[in-house]
Formats: sequence, structure tokens, C-alpha cells
Amino acid sequence: MDRLRYIVEDALTNLRRSGWGGVASVGTIVVSFVIVGIFLIITGNLGALVADWKEQFQVTVFLEDGITVDQLALLRKRVQSERAVRSTTYTSKAEALQQFKREMQGKESLLEGLGENPIPASLQLRVHEAYQTPEALKQLTASLGRLEGVEDVMYGQEWVDRLSSVIHVLRLLGLSVGLALGLASLLIVSNTIRLAVYARAEEIEVMRLVGATRLHIRLPFVLEGIIQGTLGAGLALLLLFGAYRATLWQIQMTPGQIFGMGVGSFLAPHWVVLMVAVGAAVGAFGSLISVGRFLRA
Amino acid sequence: MIQLFHVYKTYARDVEALVDINLQIEKGEFVFLVGPSGAGKTTLLRLIFRDELPTSGQILVNSRNVVKLPEPSLPSLRRSIGVIFQDFKLLRDRSIADNLSLVYRVHGVPAAVGKRKVASVLKMVGLSHKAQMTPYRLSGGEQQRVAIARALMSDPLLLLADEPTGDLDADLALDVMRLLGEIHTRGTTIVVATHDTNLVRDLGRRTIMLKGGRVVEDRA
Repeated sequence: MDRLRYIVEDALTNLRRSGWGGVASVGTIVVSFVIVGIFLIITGNLGALVADWKEQFQVTVFLEDGITVDQLALLRKRVQSERAVRSTTYTSKAEALQQFKREMQGKESLLEGLGENPIPASLQLRVHEAYQTPEALKQLTASLGRLEGVEDVMYGQEWVDRLSSVIHVLRLLGLSVGLALGLASLLIVSNTIRLAVYARAEEIEVMRLVGATRLHIRLPFVLEGIIQGTLGAGLALLLLFGAYRATLWQIQMTPGQIFGMGVGSFLAPHWVVLMVAVGAAVGAFGSLISVGRFLRA
Repeated sequence: MIQLFHVYKTYARDVEALVDINLQIEKGEFVFLVGPSGAGKTTLLRLIFRDELPTSGQILVNSRNVVKLPEPSLPSLRRSIGVIFQDFKLLRDRSIADNLSLVYRVHGVPAAVGKRKVASVLKMVGLSHKAQMTPYRLSGGEQQRVAIARALMSDPLLLLADEPTGDLDADLALDVMRLLGEIHTRGTTIVVATHDTNLVRDLGRRTIMLKGGRVVEDRA
């Protein structure tokens, strides 16, 4: 019990004595984690945007006017048998007209004089994510277009092509930037802590010579590293959250309003927990490496 | 207490620090290790508390073979030996009391017991009134006594002192010797390394002389 108390006390004393060195350690962790955090928020939101968009994505199959009920049933069955199709929704000519009128409120006069309802009935298809690639969609529209009773097949061709290439580049960029930053912060942090340990080389030497166990020498430093890492990660998260709220306020928006649902949000809770845990681990690991060098038998 | 059998210590580039040392120091003895600088005195002490390993040979301390001692047993060996270092090795940013407390804290002794021990060793070396000062504000002789006090913190069976009178004038040197003599009368085995042959001459203790890493004289 006494031993544990001494170790905790030593860690806290070390922390107090570390002065500017300690501030530097925590500061480095804060800076690294803010950068990584900004990156995580951006990719997280982009991911949400893309997921949202993919969720909404649909292919519209316009039907010929003379289509019979039996033909429609057969066609629907045939369409649903496509592996790419997740679900279908039928919109009749009358429903389509109603919808059009709703969207064109105040401009109903446009439809006057046309007499007969000019808007075709259609099937809206939701497409499985795996098939939302330019190639798969081209193949799908080609095969659907050949079916009896189909007038035309439409989807945002250009958008799909462009977005999928942008996402590809972003993912690659994100992966490499994240990896480089993560490695850099680990290096910087362990070096800063190493400096702090160098400063106490004398103390480690004396402890060793008066019969301290390796564990007793290491633990206070490791604990100090954990405290610094947690503190650094926590401060970084506070800064990020402050900046995030300030940005939202600046552009006068609530989180849900940007680009629709699920976008413009802060880091997900599991990322917050992970960042604090990684901060603590970086601190502990940095200390462990640094003290190890002084611990010859 | 201490036995050395054919101990050699060779550093890189064939620097022979110790050559074929055979020694036996009994429990309760007070022994001087004399010789000029570079004779191997410090090396010999460091081999005894296993700060270093000999190149060859065996060393027994309190019937434990320190050469073959597994690493986890090192702390227990070092706790049974008090060492007074030539450069004191006091932490300059800590008070005298904190310097001494470090020992009992490292050993996991309860605080109440430890604090009593700090008070008693400080009283023994006559520095109770300076417990809260940093070593920086003490004279050389006082720092030396703090170093002795710290070596006594764990009630060692064996006390090793490396040049404990190094920079002190004759009066202070005699004070230190008197203090070591007092510790000796309580049953502690003491080995003192010194280059000050004048100091040793009048004290009538066993004296082992080293020269060029070899024992050249050993007289009671």
C-alpha cells in the first residue's frame, strides 16, 4: 500500500517538477491531436455525406404509357430479381402528376392546355451500395432498358462518376496523411518525454544504486506519461470542440442543417474515447522507451 | 563478508583495471583500500555492490555470489550494502530530508517508520537542524555527512565508502573517520577507499594497497 502511494506521489511530484519540459510534452500532444482530430472530423463528415448520398441514391425507370397491370407486375418481378436492386417503389401517372403539382406550386398553369397527363409512371429503384459504381450502373441501365414496357432509365450518371473518383482520392489521401501524422506525433511525444527523463537521469541513477526495483523506477514515469498523454488528448478535444462550435456559429447553422442529416457533426463518441486512450498509450509508451535506456542493471 | 577469487576487470582496449584479485574481508572488519588514483579502488568497490561485473573471477558478498546473481535479486543485494559515493550523488533540487526519504520510499517502508529513520540518521551525523536545506547550501563536509547518512538509511551490514575524505581538510577528514568508526562499533563491516595514506597510517586498521590493479600489500 505504501509502495503504491509512493509511486503515485512520485509521479505527481515529477509532473510538478517537470516545468516547461512537461508543458512541452503536453503541448506537443495537444498540437498533434488537434491536427489528427481536424482530419478525423473532416473525413468523418465526408463519410457521412457520402453515406447519406448513397442512401438516397436511386435509379428511375420510366414506364410506357400503355403498360397493363399484368405487364407491370411481371416487369417489377423481373427488376427485383436484379442483384443490384435493393427495393422498388411504384409511382403511377396520377401520383407523379400530384407530386409534380406539389413541386411546382403557383406554376400549375404550365400544365394547363396539355389536357392529358403527360407525366409517365415510374419505378424508383434503391441500389445496393456495392453496385453504385459507374460500371455496375451502366450495366444495370442497359439491361433494364431492354425490358418490355420500359421507356427510359435515368440516374445521375455524371455525379456518380465524379463523386466516386473524388471519394477514392480522398480515402487514399486520408489514409496516408493520417498515418504520417500519427507516426510523427508518436515520435515527437516520445522524444519530448525522453528529454524529461534525461533531466532526471541523476535521480534514476540514485534510485537504482540504493536498491530500487526496475518496476519502482519505471512506474512513476509511466504514470506521469499517462497523465500527460491524457491531459494532452483531453485539451486537444476541448480545443477541437470549441473550434467546431465557433465554426458552426460563424456560418449560422446547427449541425443537422449542413448538407442534410448526419453531416456537420463532431467526432463520434468512440473516436473521442479512442483519442484519449491513444494519448494515454503514447505517453506511457514514450516514457517506457525513454526510461528503459537508463535502466541497465 | 566479502570474498574475491581471481577477479579480473578489463575495460575496452585492454585497459586492465584489476588483475587477479584475491581477498577475504571478515564480518565486522574495518578495512582501508589505499593506492594512487587509477589503482582500481573504485572499480573494486563497484564490483562488490554489482554496479559492474568482473571480466572473470567470482565475488561473494554475505555468502551470495554477486557475479551469478539474477537481475531481480540486485535490489535486495544493494539494500544490504550502504554506499558512500565519491561524488556524493545527492539530488541538488531536493532537501536533505527528501534525499534521505528517497531510500525508504524506494524500499517501500511505511512513512512513519521511514521518517523516524531519517530523523535518527540525521541526528547521528549531526545535521538535524539542516534537514530542510538543499545540498547546494551545505559545505563539502556537510554534504559528505549527508551522503553517509543516506548510506545508513537501510541499516546496511556492509558500508562501502569511496574517498569519503576526498576534498576535506585534515580536521574534517578526522571527523568523518570518527563517524565511520562509530558506525563500525555498531557492528557494520566497513571498506573505505582512499588515496590519503597519511590519514590511514595513524588509525591502525587493516590496509590493502592496490597499484596498477594488483594487490601489492595487505597488512593488519
